[in-house]
Amino acid sequence: MKYFYLILFLMVCSVKSMAQDFKFAGISHEDIALKNTVLDSNANAIVLREFGTAMMDHNDADGRLAIEYLYHVRIKIFNKQGFESGNIIIPQRINDDLEDEIRDIKAVTINYIDGVFKQTELDPKKIFREKRNKYSAATKFTMPNLMDGSIIEYTYRMRIPRIFNFKSWEFQSGIPKLHSEYIAVIPGLYNYNVSLKGAMKLSSSNAELQKECMRISGTNFDCSRMTYIMKNVPAFIEEDYMTAAVNFKSAINFELSDYHLWNGGKRNVTKTWKDVDYELVSEKSFGSQMKKKDAFKELMPEILKNTTDDLSKAQAVYNYISKNIKSNGFIGIYSETAVKKALETHTGNTGDINLSLIAALNAANLDAEAVILSTREYGLVNSLYPVITDFNYVVAKVNIGEQSYLLDASVPLLPFGLLPLHCINGQGRVINLKKPSYWYDLKASQKDYTRYNLVATLTKDGKIKGELLTYSSGYAALKKRRDILAANSVAEYVEKLDEKMPKISFGKYEIQNVDSLNLPLVEKYEIEINSYNGTSASQIFFSPFFIDNISKNPFNLNERTYPVDLGTSKETRCSIQLSVPEDFVLTGQPKDLNIGLQENGGRYMSNTTFDNHIINFNQLLQLNKPIYPSEEYLSLKEFYSRIIQTQKTEIIFKKAK
Amino acid sequence: MIRNLFLCLLTFISIPCFSQLEYAADKIPSSLRSRANAVIREMETTVDMRAVDQVIIKVKKVVTVWNKNGDPRADLTIYYDKSSSIQRIRGQVLDAIGNVNAKFTQSDFTDHSAVSDGSMFIDYRLKHFSPIVTTYPYTVIYEYEIRNKQNLIIPDWYANPYADQSVEKNSYTFICKPNEEIRIREYNYNDKPEVLKTEKTTTYTWQVSNKPAFKSEPFAPDPDLYQTYVKIAARQFSYYGYKGSYQNWEELGKWVYNDLIKGRQSLPEQTTAEIKELVKGTDSDREKAKKIYQYMQKKTRYISVQIGIGGFQPMPAAEVQQLSYGDCKALVNYTQSLLKAADIPSLYCVVNAGRNKKSMDPDFASMEQGNHIILAVPLKTDTVWLECTSSDSPFGFLGDFTDDRTVLACTPEGGKLIKTPALSSSMNLLVRKAQLNVDAEGTVTGKLNTRFSGAQYDNYQSLVAQPYTEQLKLLKDKYDIDNINFNDFKLVQDKGTPPHTLESFKLDIQKYAAKSNDLFYLELNAFNKTRNIPEVRNRTLPVYINRGFTDEDELSYELPEGFKMEAKPENKRIISPFGTYSSELKIEGKILTYKRKFQLKDGNYPAAQYQEFSNFMSNVNIADHDKVVYKLN
Repeated sequence: MKYFYLILFLMVCSVKSMAQDFKFAGISHEDIALKNTVLDSNANAIVLREFGTAMMDHNDADGRLAIEYLYHVRIKIFNKQGFESGNIIIPQRINDDLEDEIRDIKAVTINYIDGVFKQTELDPKKIFREKRNKYSAATKFTMPNLMDGSIIEYTYRMRIPRIFNFKSWEFQSGIPKLHSEYIAVIPGLYNYNVSLKGAMKLSSSNAELQKECMRISGTNFDCSRMTYIMKNVPAFIEEDYMTAAVNFKSAINFELSDYHLWNGGKRNVTKTWKDVDYELVSEKSFGSQMKKKDAFKELMPEILKNTTDDLSKAQAVYNYISKNIKSNGFIGIYSETAVKKALETHTGNTGDINLSLIAALNAANLDAEAVILSTREYGLVNSLYPVITDFNYVVAKVNIGEQSYLLDASVPLLPFGLLPLHCINGQGRVINLKKPSYWYDLKASQKDYTRYNLVATLTKDGKIKGELLTYSSGYAALKKRRDILAANSVAEYVEKLDEKMPKISFGKYEIQNVDSLNLPLVEKYEIEINSYNGTSASQIFFSPFFIDNISKNPFNLNERTYPVDLGTSKETRCSIQLSVPEDFVLTGQPKDLNIGLQENGGRYMSNTTFDNHIINFNQLLQLNKPIYPSEEYLSLKEFYSRIIQTQKTEIIFKKAK
Repeated sequence: MIRNLFLCLLTFISIPCFSQLEYAADKIPSSLRSRANAVIREMETTVDMRAVDQVIIKVKKVVTVWNKNGDPRADLTIYYDKSSSIQRIRGQVLDAIGNVNAKFTQSDFTDHSAVSDGSMFIDYRLKHFSPIVTTYPYTVIYEYEIRNKQNLIIPDWYANPYADQSVEKNSYTFICKPNEEIRIREYNYNDKPEVLKTEKTTTYTWQVSNKPAFKSEPFAPDPDLYQTYVKIAARQFSYYGYKGSYQNWEELGKWVYNDLIKGRQSLPEQTTAEIKELVKGTDSDREKAKKIYQYMQKKTRYISVQIGIGGFQPMPAAEVQQLSYGDCKALVNYTQSLLKAADIPSLYCVVNAGRNKKSMDPDFASMEQGNHIILAVPLKTDTVWLECTSSDSPFGFLGDFTDDRTVLACTPEGGKLIKTPALSSSMNLLVRKAQLNVDAEGTVTGKLNTRFSGAQYDNYQSLVAQPYTEQLKLLKDKYDIDNINFNDFKLVQDKGTPPHTLESFKLDIQKYAAKSNDLFYLELNAFNKTRNIPEVRNRTLPVYINRGFTDEDELSYELPEGFKMEAKPENKRIISPFGTYSSELKIEGKILTYKRKFQLKDGNYPAAQYQEFSNFMSNVNIADHDKVVYKLN
């Protein structure tokens, strides 16, 4: 018992000696006087000072290591819109029985009224804890007595029972910060890979030795004490068409790379990809699941019935897994349950589903590998050295002859070989059971492609009657197939389509390849359009741009900070062949246009010809790059603007006398 | 081990009550398959009110799901809180022919907090289960039992709450002691309940069968107007330790006031003094109330913290005074207490808030008909209504969130049903004027002013408190025109009576009039285009327009010298039962003046008129795209 006290005493001592925290509620008149003209006049609130420190702690009672984290912030609130900063939510992770523990929450609102500082402290009874689901919880509280000009301050400690990722630190958030400081105290036994993300630079960083900072079973260890400071950090503002905010937000991340054992030996955690490969392949919830060929032994003959070559085998296996295991909504690179259980219960996370797929492909004697990746929402992976927690998703890669296909069986309705858009994010790492791992580009294997073909007749009373044929593939087909599924039947899908477009009425229809996901979706409609009225007018104005009309510019802003990330290249073609009454004479038409974006980034073409009472109209819109750098934003805007201007113009007929 | 065995036995015994193969999917009549993603094969809900603090709810539910879209109908979500406990849940998943494929129990359910994004904290939780089946059709059988320690809220029974779900058989049984006084209200139920009286109990049973699924339609009335449902309320009740009785709104309102609010209105003496000081020298009660309302708005902010007494009891006024925040109940109760300090009486009113107007049922009092609280201040000549959760609502103004509906005022004398003022089509007014100049390139420059009032007062709420650069960005969503740029944007909220919002800005739109060869195309109605509404074949539900409005746009375009008009639209006047539309173009020299007026009336119309409504909106949409074509010499 005495011994235990000693440890506690040491801990308290070490905390005191290490932290250079600023004084709680030590408000100065300068803070009170501060106006939102510093740094950002648009700010509703600003972080005056923010301090965090994390260090490793060994609990001798259970022999576990954890990270002890202290957070302290002082925020000035300028106006009511800034009150949002007074609602505090601290997320906590739950891993099995271990969860982040929060304690010592202290919070105060300080107002300066009539020359007097008035403090209102947070009532501990008004701190709420909420369990969200099996993986996450949150501690929530709201600051009392907020008014324009309030200064709020809070601090808490958190014990994180995972040391793999040393506590990361976000320098940038939704409000600007004057001073953000983080001290990481890392025992010399442990080596972390440190990565700084975002465009901002550190104002200062410093590393020094701290003697005897951690004590394990009576032995003292030295630490590196790393201080990172960033000053005058602007608020982070999200834009449309961008990938994960974490790719751009200034933050510092740590991942354990190796550590020394207390007895002097050394263990690498994630030093090289070779180590990672070994770990993943031998991991029970990863490599072992990829090897679960046996689970499919009995099923395989039935699955492979009617298949001939390797490609058809792979497609059959992919279809089987897609149909038989549904996603439970959770994603991850590891299997949550196990291949066998997922097959039995027909449900699993991404790991369960796609590792099952790999095992099944292997069971069919195909060459299948795993590709671990990070989804668009999760951010880009570090390509310099392995950071395993950068990855949050796994898909399969099957190699048939010279050709490789990326497969995700957890998302329904995808054609064979096309990954869902959320996976199209830089590079993934291919993990092979036998060979070393390697990087692989995550690209959409098909364009987002739509083609419209209309052959029709314009009647004298202003109606267009004819047949519209539409081909879609890639994500365009995926979207339509999802709509058809949501509508329950093709008939209800067409009904909805018809109802959505009051000017167009739909007659007979035929939709092909609804279930043949590997073929383009083909829609055939007999349509009738009220194109204009006013038959009495001497001139008839008629717009050929009623299909794929772009009425709004998607890039309407005047400036752009981050790249425009569309994820996939896109192409839409439209061709109209329209017979017009014999007494119609063409007197005007939209000017033909052929414009492109730099470096073949995109193309728009439209042309109209009139011959033998038939109008031939063609339009093409291509966006060839999945990502456009922010400098090209204004060209994109201009590109769309030209299209919109062209689409405002019309074909003009005169009736021959 | 013995315990396990016992459990096994129980499960085993329970099987016979799910008779096998009875639920084969092909037994469902074809009339119940049309438009249905799922079918309630059989559902029995029994509410057994044994005592005021002991209500046992037993549910058996058998649902067959036809396709993926029907999956949510097979989900089960049970809400619970401190006043209820889940006794048991169990169930089975059957295949198409009705064989048992899987069984599940309470341990297969996930447990979540019921908190939504808008709430800081709520002490409701929920248990959820989604069966995972990959082949359709399949059938799920649920049996569960919940014990409520209160009877103030007896669950409503809905015969078929979802359009995409048909019903083979659904019944509701309510059991209570013969001497228990209960009130029952059936809505759209064509029959009488079956009543069975014994010495110990009285049993009421409602039942529907063979209800087909139906299509959900746009511009449809509140589903409660055509759905079959039953509400029950007991005279004697118990709730979180409170006991009381009510038979009507008067008594319920009285209880709410006396037991939940009255004791929570005392203020620190200092605050009372502060309020008295604040209104000192102010003569009229209206002016006093206004000062107090503004004091409250400045001091507090809205935070949703729904805990204790089922979310019905406000936080004490003194606590709001101290913390400067609260939810709707707390802020209304606080404002009421402040007004009391200035001797101004006011009414704590329960309202069903939302964009769709919904009133308290005058014929049936029950606890859960509202979801929000507002404050009414009766003055000599009129009543002032206050929305207390907003820090910038004008004094005496209720927007479209709470206008035009019956609310329950909870007063010491008892509950009273009163109506909030209505914002009519002609009050919900937008008046826009723009003077624009078109140059030889088709570029438009000029200035624009708009005045918004009535329900449109709030149109710019999302912009109001934003920083200027953010406002300009958001303005691009309101005026989403290619190449538009704004200057000198000003937004003023005039909180007078009636309140209105004024916007003004200078604008330029590069090449707004598009040029092709030597022709310019100029769309006259640049800023206010009406969207089409869907067509509906075989409309079944009546047409309901929830919110009417009037928009008046007047734009003048000064064209370059020497323009020659090639084509111009005819003046339009479209009159329909749903509203009127007119557009008119005047050309005087090089000035084109375009005037557009569109009034949509709120109201109810028969189903047969939907087509006419859709045509009307379509014609408005076409007219809104009218353009002139001109040449420049």
